[in-house]
Amino acid sequence: MPKCKISEAHVIDYVIGELDHTEAAEFRYHLTTCNHCIRHVNVLKHVLQLVDSAEAEIAPQAIVPTNLESKLYRRLAEEPIQKPSVHSRFTDFIARLGLILQIQKPAVVGLLAVVAIAITLLIGNPFDNETTESVDARIEQYHHQGIQRSMEDVIRNKHLRPSDEWNTVSQLNRVKDQAKGTDWAVLANEHLKGVNSKL
Amino acid sequence: MDKMIDDEMLVTQFKSGIQKAFDELMKRYERRIFSYLLRSVRNYEDAEELTLEVFFKAYRALGSWEPKAKFSTWLYTIASNLSIDYHRSKSRHPVFIYEDENVIEKRLVANDISSNPEKQLEDQERGEIIRAAVDKLSAKQKEVFMLTRYEGLQIKEVAETLGMAEGTVKIHLHRAIKKLQTILQPLWENNEI
Repeated sequence: MPKCKISEAHVIDYVIGELDHTEAAEFRYHLTTCNHCIRHVNVLKHVLQLVDSAEAEIAPQAIVPTNLESKLYRRLAEEPIQKPSVHSRFTDFIARLGLILQIQKPAVVGLLAVVAIAITLLIGNPFDNETTESVDARIEQYHHQGIQRSMEDVIRNKHLRPSDEWNTVSQLNRVKDQAKGTDWAVLANEHLKGVNSKL
Repeated sequence: MDKMIDDEMLVTQFKSGIQKAFDELMKRYERRIFSYLLRSVRNYEDAEELTLEVFFKAYRALGSWEPKAKFSTWLYTIASNLSIDYHRSKSRHPVFIYEDENVIEKRLVANDISSNPEKQLEDQERGEIIRAAVDKLSAKQKEVFMLTRYEGLQIKEVAETLGMAEGTVKIHLHRAIKKLQTILQPLWENNEI
Protein backbone atom coordinates (compact mmCIF):
# COMPACT_ATOMS: atom_id res chain seq x y z
CA MET A 1 0.00 0.00 0.00
CA PRO A 2 1.59 3.34 -1.04
CA LYS A 3 2.42 5.76 1.74
CA CYS A 4 0.51 9.01 1.92
CA LYS A 5 1.87 12.55 2.19
CA ILE A 6 -0.60 13.39 4.98
CA SER A 7 1.28 13.66 8.28
CA GLU A 8 0.77 11.22 11.11
CA ALA A 9 -0.04 14.12 13.46
CA HIS A 10 -2.84 15.23 11.13
CA VAL A 11 -4.38 11.75 11.18
CA ILE A 12 -4.18 11.64 14.99
CA ASP A 13 -5.79 15.09 15.20
CA TYR A 14 -8.62 13.85 13.00
CA VAL A 15 -9.20 10.79 15.18
CA ILE A 16 -9.22 12.74 18.46
CA GLY A 17 -11.39 15.52 17.03
CA GLU A 18 -8.74 18.24 17.08
CA LEU A 19 -9.19 19.31 13.44
CA ASP A 20 -11.48 22.24 12.74
CA HIS A 21 -14.65 21.76 10.71
CA THR A 22 -13.08 22.55 7.32
CA GLU A 23 -9.95 20.47 7.92
CA ALA A 24 -12.03 17.52 9.06
CA ALA A 25 -14.27 17.74 5.97
CA GLU A 26 -11.22 17.87 3.69
CA PHE A 27 -9.69 14.89 5.43
CA ARG A 28 -12.93 12.90 5.17
CA TYR A 29 -12.89 13.60 1.42
CA HIS A 30 -9.24 12.44 1.30
CA LEU A 31 -10.28 9.20 3.00
CA THR A 32 -12.54 8.34 0.06
CA THR A 33 -9.43 7.77 -2.06
CA CYS A 34 -6.63 6.83 0.38
CA ASN A 35 -6.51 3.30 1.73
CA HIS A 36 -3.34 4.04 3.68
CA CYS A 37 -5.06 6.75 5.73
CA ILE A 38 -8.24 4.65 6.13
CA ARG A 39 -6.16 1.88 7.65
CA HIS A 40 -4.27 4.32 9.86
CA VAL A 41 -7.51 5.88 11.13
CA ASN A 42 -8.98 2.46 11.89
CA VAL A 43 -5.87 1.35 13.78
CA LEU A 44 -5.83 4.51 15.89
CA LYS A 45 -9.54 4.25 16.65
CA HIS A 46 -9.06 0.65 17.75
CA VAL A 47 -6.11 1.60 19.99
CA LEU A 48 -8.15 4.30 21.68
CA GLN A 49 -11.16 2.00 22.08
CA LEU A 50 -8.97 -0.60 23.79
CA VAL A 51 -7.44 1.96 26.13
CA ASP A 52 -10.83 3.55 26.87
CA SER A 53 -12.36 0.24 27.88
CA ALA A 54 -9.35 -0.72 30.02
CA GLU A 55 -9.37 2.66 31.75
CA ALA A 56 -13.14 2.55 32.24
CA GLU A 57 -12.67 -0.63 34.29
CA ILE A 58 -10.54 1.05 36.93
CA ALA A 59 -12.57 4.15 37.64
CA PRO A 60 -16.17 3.04 37.40
CA GLN A 61 -18.73 5.51 38.64
CA ALA A 62 -19.75 3.22 41.51
CA ILE A 63 -16.55 3.23 43.54
CA VAL A 64 -15.79 6.74 44.61
CA PRO A 65 -14.70 6.88 48.26
CA THR A 66 -17.39 7.77 50.74
CA ASN A 67 -17.20 10.40 53.45
CA LEU A 68 -14.47 12.41 51.75
CA GLU A 69 -16.02 15.60 53.09
CA SER A 70 -16.10 14.29 56.65
CA LYS A 71 -12.48 13.20 56.33
CA LEU A 72 -11.53 16.64 55.06
CA TYR A 73 -13.25 18.43 57.94
CA ARG A 74 -11.69 16.07 60.41
CA ARG A 75 -8.28 16.77 58.99
CA LEU A 76 -8.92 20.51 58.95
CA ALA A 77 -9.91 20.27 62.58
CA GLU A 78 -6.84 18.21 63.45
CA GLU A 79 -4.26 20.28 61.58
CA PRO A 80 -4.42 23.94 62.52
CA ILE A 81 -2.87 26.43 60.12
CA GLN A 82 0.79 26.99 60.84
CA LYS A 83 1.50 30.58 61.71
CA PRO A 84 4.13 31.91 59.27
CA SER A 85 7.64 32.21 60.67
CA VAL A 86 9.27 35.58 61.32
CA HIS A 87 11.51 34.93 58.32
CA SER A 88 8.62 34.24 55.94
CA ARG A 89 6.70 37.25 57.27
CA PHE A 90 9.75 39.42 56.71
CA THR A 91 10.25 38.03 53.17
CA ASP A 92 6.59 38.62 52.43
CA PHE A 93 6.86 42.14 53.75
CA ILE A 94 9.95 42.90 51.61
CA ALA A 95 8.13 41.62 48.50
CA ARG A 96 5.16 43.85 49.24
CA LEU A 97 7.44 46.77 49.96
CA GLY A 98 9.14 46.29 46.58
CA LEU A 99 5.75 46.55 44.91
CA ILE A 100 4.92 49.75 46.77
CA LEU A 101 8.33 51.25 45.93
CA GLN A 102 7.46 51.11 42.26
CA ILE A 103 4.49 53.42 42.69
CA GLN A 104 5.09 55.64 45.72
CA LYS A 105 7.38 58.51 46.55
CA PRO A 106 10.65 57.33 48.17
CA ALA A 107 10.52 59.55 51.27
CA VAL A 108 7.01 58.50 52.28
CA VAL A 109 7.78 54.91 51.51
CA GLY A 110 10.94 55.03 53.61
CA LEU A 111 8.97 56.22 56.60
CA LEU A 112 6.25 53.62 56.03
CA ALA A 113 8.84 50.90 55.68
CA VAL A 114 10.42 51.64 59.06
CA VAL A 115 6.99 51.62 60.74
CA ALA A 116 5.89 48.47 58.93
CA ILE A 117 9.09 46.56 59.75
CA ALA A 118 8.62 47.42 63.40
CA ILE A 119 4.98 46.29 63.33
CA THR A 120 5.79 43.10 61.43
CA LEU A 121 8.51 42.07 63.85
CA LEU A 122 6.56 42.98 66.94
CA ILE A 123 2.96 41.90 66.32
CA GLY A 124 2.79 40.13 62.98
CA ASN A 125 2.04 40.89 59.36
CA PRO A 126 -0.31 43.91 59.16
CA PHE A 127 -1.38 42.91 55.65
CA ASP A 128 -2.66 39.54 56.72
CA ASN A 129 -6.43 39.93 56.83
CA GLU A 130 -7.17 36.43 58.06
CA THR A 131 -6.81 36.22 61.82
CA THR A 132 -6.04 33.00 63.59
CA GLU A 133 -9.29 33.33 65.58
CA SER A 134 -11.49 33.34 62.48
CA VAL A 135 -9.71 30.32 60.99
CA ASP A 136 -9.98 28.43 64.27
CA ALA A 137 -13.67 29.23 64.43
CA ARG A 138 -14.11 28.00 60.86
CA ILE A 139 -12.27 24.77 61.58
CA GLU A 140 -14.35 24.25 64.69
CA GLN A 141 -17.45 24.74 62.60
CA TYR A 142 -16.19 22.16 60.10
CA HIS A 143 -15.37 19.80 62.91
CA HIS A 144 -18.99 19.92 64.03
CA GLN A 145 -20.26 19.60 60.47
CA GLY A 146 -18.04 16.53 60.11
CA ILE A 147 -19.58 14.96 63.19
CA GLN A 148 -23.05 15.81 61.94
CA ARG A 149 -22.32 14.21 58.57
CA SER A 150 -20.87 11.09 60.19
CA MET A 151 -24.02 10.82 62.28
CA GLU A 152 -26.21 11.32 59.23
CA ASP A 153 -24.25 8.59 57.44
CA VAL A 154 -24.82 6.26 60.35
CA ILE A 155 -28.55 6.94 60.37
CA ARG A 156 -28.76 6.56 56.59
CA ASN A 157 -26.78 3.29 56.64
CA LYS A 158 -28.89 2.01 59.48
CA HIS A 159 -31.99 2.78 57.50
CA LEU A 160 -30.77 1.45 54.14
CA ARG A 161 -28.82 -1.55 55.34
CA PRO A 162 -30.47 -2.91 58.47
CA SER A 163 -28.52 -6.17 58.17
CA ASP A 164 -25.15 -4.44 58.35
CA GLU A 165 -25.23 -3.69 62.07
CA TRP A 166 -21.52 -4.23 62.75
CA ASN A 167 -20.59 -1.47 60.36
CA THR A 168 -23.10 0.83 62.03
CA VAL A 169 -21.76 0.03 65.49
CA SER A 170 -18.21 0.96 64.48
CA GLN A 171 -19.47 4.16 62.87
CA LEU A 172 -21.42 5.09 65.98
CA ASN A 173 -18.39 4.47 68.17
CA ARG A 174 -16.39 6.71 65.89
CA VAL A 175 -18.99 9.48 66.18
CA LYS A 176 -18.90 9.11 69.97
CA ASP A 177 -15.13 9.60 69.96
CA GLN A 178 -15.31 12.51 67.55
CA ALA A 179 -18.10 14.27 69.38
CA LYS A 180 -17.03 13.69 72.97
CA GLY A 181 -18.72 16.20 75.26
CA THR A 182 -21.37 17.30 72.76
CA ASP A 183 -25.02 16.46 72.13
CA TRP A 184 -23.95 14.37 69.16
CA ALA A 185 -22.16 11.95 71.49
CA VAL A 186 -25.35 11.55 73.51
CA LEU A 187 -27.32 10.93 70.32
CA ALA A 188 -24.75 8.41 69.09
CA ASN A 189 -24.91 6.64 72.44
CA GLU A 190 -28.70 6.34 72.23
CA HIS A 191 -28.50 4.89 68.72
CA LEU A 192 -25.78 2.53 69.86
CA LYS A 193 -28.00 1.21 72.63
CA GLY A 194 -30.77 0.66 70.08
CA VAL A 195 -28.46 -1.26 67.73
CA ASN A 196 -26.92 -3.32 70.54
CA SER A 197 -30.32 -4.33 71.85
CA LYS A 198 -31.17 -5.83 68.42
CA LEU A 199 -27.91 -7.79 68.19
CA MET B 1 -27.34 25.20 46.56
CA ASP B 2 -28.21 26.43 43.08
CA LYS B 3 -26.59 24.22 40.47
CA MET B 4 -26.47 27.11 38.05
CA ILE B 5 -24.02 29.05 40.20
CA ASP B 6 -20.65 28.88 38.49
CA ASP B 7 -17.49 27.79 40.25
CA GLU B 8 -15.99 31.25 40.42
CA MET B 9 -19.10 32.59 42.15
CA LEU B 10 -18.84 29.78 44.70
CA VAL B 11 -15.22 30.71 45.30
CA THR B 12 -16.28 34.30 45.94
CA GLN B 13 -18.97 33.10 48.33
CA PHE B 14 -16.44 30.91 50.15
CA LYS B 15 -14.08 33.84 50.49
CA SER B 16 -16.87 35.90 52.00
CA GLY B 17 -17.41 33.24 54.65
CA ILE B 18 -20.13 30.99 53.19
CA GLN B 19 -18.78 27.56 54.05
CA LYS B 20 -21.37 25.64 52.07
CA ALA B 21 -19.84 27.05 48.90
CA PHE B 22 -16.78 24.84 49.44
CA ASP B 23 -19.02 21.81 50.07
CA GLU B 24 -20.63 22.43 46.71
CA LEU B 25 -17.27 22.79 44.94
CA MET B 26 -16.10 19.57 46.53
CA LYS B 27 -19.30 17.78 45.54
CA ARG B 28 -18.83 18.93 41.96
CA TYR B 29 -15.23 17.80 41.63
CA GLU B 30 -14.48 14.96 44.07
CA ARG B 31 -15.50 12.25 41.62
CA ARG B 32 -13.52 13.72 38.74
CA ILE B 33 -10.41 14.38 40.80
CA PHE B 34 -10.57 10.93 42.36
CA SER B 35 -10.98 9.20 38.97
CA TYR B 36 -8.10 11.20 37.55
CA LEU B 37 -5.83 10.30 40.46
CA LEU B 38 -6.91 6.66 40.45
CA ARG B 39 -5.93 6.40 36.79
CA SER B 40 -2.67 8.10 37.57
CA VAL B 41 -1.53 6.18 40.66
CA ARG B 42 -3.40 2.89 40.00
CA ASN B 43 -4.08 2.35 43.68
CA TYR B 44 -7.45 3.00 45.32
CA GLU B 45 -6.25 3.95 48.78
CA ASP B 46 -3.47 6.20 47.54
CA ALA B 47 -5.90 7.88 45.13
CA GLU B 48 -8.32 8.50 48.00
CA GLU B 49 -5.57 9.95 50.15
CA LEU B 50 -4.36 12.18 47.33
CA THR B 51 -7.91 13.34 46.58
CA LEU B 52 -8.27 14.36 50.20
CA GLU B 53 -4.93 16.16 49.97
CA VAL B 54 -6.09 18.05 46.86
CA PHE B 55 -9.16 19.41 48.66
CA PHE B 56 -7.20 20.05 51.83
CA LYS B 57 -4.70 22.17 49.92
CA ALA B 58 -7.48 23.84 47.95
CA TYR B 59 -9.35 24.72 51.15
CA ARG B 60 -6.25 26.18 52.73
CA ALA B 61 -5.22 28.13 49.64
CA LEU B 62 -8.60 29.23 48.33
CA GLY B 63 -8.77 32.29 50.58
CA SER B 64 -5.77 33.83 48.84
CA TRP B 65 -6.35 32.32 45.39
CA GLU B 66 -6.63 34.85 42.58
CA PRO B 67 -8.40 33.34 39.58
CA LYS B 68 -6.03 33.48 36.61
CA ALA B 69 -7.63 30.33 35.18
CA LYS B 70 -10.80 28.35 35.87
CA PHE B 71 -11.24 26.86 39.33
CA SER B 72 -11.33 23.35 37.84
CA THR B 73 -8.01 23.96 36.08
CA TRP B 74 -6.47 25.07 39.36
CA LEU B 75 -7.79 21.96 41.08
CA TYR B 76 -6.32 19.71 38.38
CA THR B 77 -3.01 21.57 38.74
CA ILE B 78 -2.92 20.68 42.45
CA ALA B 79 -3.88 17.08 41.63
CA SER B 80 -1.30 16.84 38.87
CA ASN B 81 1.49 18.18 41.10
CA LEU B 82 0.57 15.72 43.83
CA SER B 83 0.50 12.90 41.32
CA ILE B 84 3.95 13.83 40.02
CA ASP B 85 5.28 13.99 43.60
CA TYR B 86 3.70 10.60 44.29
CA HIS B 87 5.42 8.99 41.32
CA ARG B 88 8.71 10.62 42.24
CA SER B 89 8.50 9.23 45.75
CA LYS B 90 7.82 5.71 44.48
CA SER B 91 11.02 3.89 43.74
CA ARG B 92 9.28 1.19 41.74
CA HIS B 93 6.74 1.41 38.96
CA PRO B 94 3.18 1.79 40.31
CA VAL B 95 1.13 -1.36 40.42
CA PHE B 96 -2.66 -1.31 40.33
CA ILE B 97 -4.03 -2.92 43.49
CA TYR B 98 -7.53 -3.01 44.87
CA GLU B 99 -6.82 -3.45 48.56
CA ASP B 100 -10.15 -2.42 50.00
CA GLU B 101 -12.66 -5.26 50.35
CA ASN B 102 -15.54 -2.84 49.97
CA VAL B 103 -14.08 -1.78 46.64
CA ILE B 104 -13.83 -5.35 45.42
CA GLU B 105 -17.39 -5.97 46.53
CA LYS B 106 -18.71 -2.88 44.78
CA ARG B 107 -16.71 -3.74 41.68
CA LEU B 108 -18.23 -7.21 41.56
CA VAL B 109 -21.69 -5.76 41.93
CA ALA B 110 -20.93 -3.29 39.16
CA ASN B 111 -19.96 -6.13 36.82
CA ASP B 112 -22.54 -8.39 35.28
CA ILE B 113 -22.60 -11.27 37.75
CA SER B 114 -24.35 -13.56 35.30
CA SER B 115 -21.52 -13.39 32.76
CA ASN B 116 -18.92 -16.08 32.20
CA PRO B 117 -16.16 -16.04 34.89
CA GLU B 118 -13.55 -17.18 32.35
CA LYS B 119 -14.44 -14.30 30.09
CA GLN B 120 -14.26 -11.95 33.07
CA LEU B 121 -10.77 -13.19 33.82
CA GLU B 122 -9.74 -12.74 30.19
CA ASP B 123 -11.15 -9.22 30.16
CA GLN B 124 -9.32 -8.46 33.38
CA GLU B 125 -6.01 -9.74 31.99
CA ARG B 126 -6.50 -7.80 28.76
CA GLY B 127 -7.26 -4.67 30.79
CA GLU B 128 -4.08 -5.12 32.82
CA ILE B 129 -1.95 -5.50 29.67
CA ILE B 130 -3.46 -2.37 28.14
CA ARG B 131 -3.07 -0.33 31.34
CA ALA B 132 0.54 -1.50 31.55
CA ALA B 133 1.00 -0.02 28.07
CA VAL B 134 -0.46 3.28 29.30
CA ASP B 135 1.93 3.21 32.25
CA LYS B 136 4.84 2.96 29.81
CA LEU B 137 4.12 6.48 28.61
CA SER B 138 6.35 9.18 30.04
CA ALA B 139 4.87 11.08 33.00
CA LYS B 140 4.04 14.11 30.85
CA GLN B 141 2.61 12.02 27.99
CA LYS B 142 0.39 10.18 30.44
CA GLU B 143 -0.80 13.34 32.18
CA VAL B 144 -1.66 15.00 28.88
CA PHE B 145 -3.38 11.88 27.55
CA MET B 146 -5.45 11.39 30.71
CA LEU B 147 -6.48 15.01 31.04
CA THR B 148 -7.62 15.35 27.44
CA ARG B 149 -9.11 11.91 27.01
CA TYR B 150 -10.82 11.25 30.35
CA GLU B 151 -11.18 14.59 32.11
CA GLY B 152 -12.53 16.37 29.05
CA LEU B 153 -10.00 19.21 29.24
CA GLN B 154 -9.23 21.21 26.10
CA ILE B 155 -5.61 21.49 24.92
CA LYS B 156 -5.56 25.09 26.22
CA GLU B 157 -6.77 24.00 29.66
CA VAL B 158 -4.22 21.19 29.84
CA ALA B 159 -1.52 23.71 28.93
CA GLU B 160 -2.64 25.92 31.84
CA THR B 161 -2.92 22.97 34.21
CA LEU B 162 0.54 21.61 33.47
CA GLY B 163 2.22 24.95 32.82
CA MET B 164 3.18 24.07 29.23
CA ALA B 165 2.77 25.73 25.86
CA GLU B 166 -0.21 24.46 23.85
CA GLY B 167 2.16 23.22 21.14
CA THR B 168 4.07 21.17 23.69
CA VAL B 169 0.84 19.63 24.96
CA LYS B 170 -0.08 18.59 21.41
CA ILE B 171 3.35 17.06 20.86
CA HIS B 172 3.04 15.03 24.08
CA LEU B 173 -0.46 13.95 23.09
CA HIS B 174 0.62 12.82 19.61
CA ARG B 175 3.60 10.94 21.02
CA ALA B 176 1.41 9.28 23.64
CA ILE B 177 -1.06 7.98 21.04
CA LYS B 178 1.72 6.93 18.69
CA LYS B 179 3.46 5.06 21.51
CA LEU B 180 0.24 3.29 22.50
CA GLN B 181 -0.21 2.23 18.88
CA THR B 182 3.37 0.94 18.72
CA ILE B 183 2.87 -1.15 21.86
CA LEU B 184 -0.69 -2.38 21.35
CA GLN B 185 -0.95 -3.01 17.60
CA PRO B 186 1.44 -6.02 17.56
CA LEU B 187 -0.39 -7.45 20.58
CA TRP B 188 -3.80 -7.54 18.95
CA GLU B 189 -2.35 -8.62 15.60
CA ASN B 190 -0.87 -11.63 17.44
CA ASN B 191 -4.18 -12.19 19.26
CA GLU B 192 -2.54 -11.49 22.61
CA ILE B 193 -5.21 -9.00 23.62
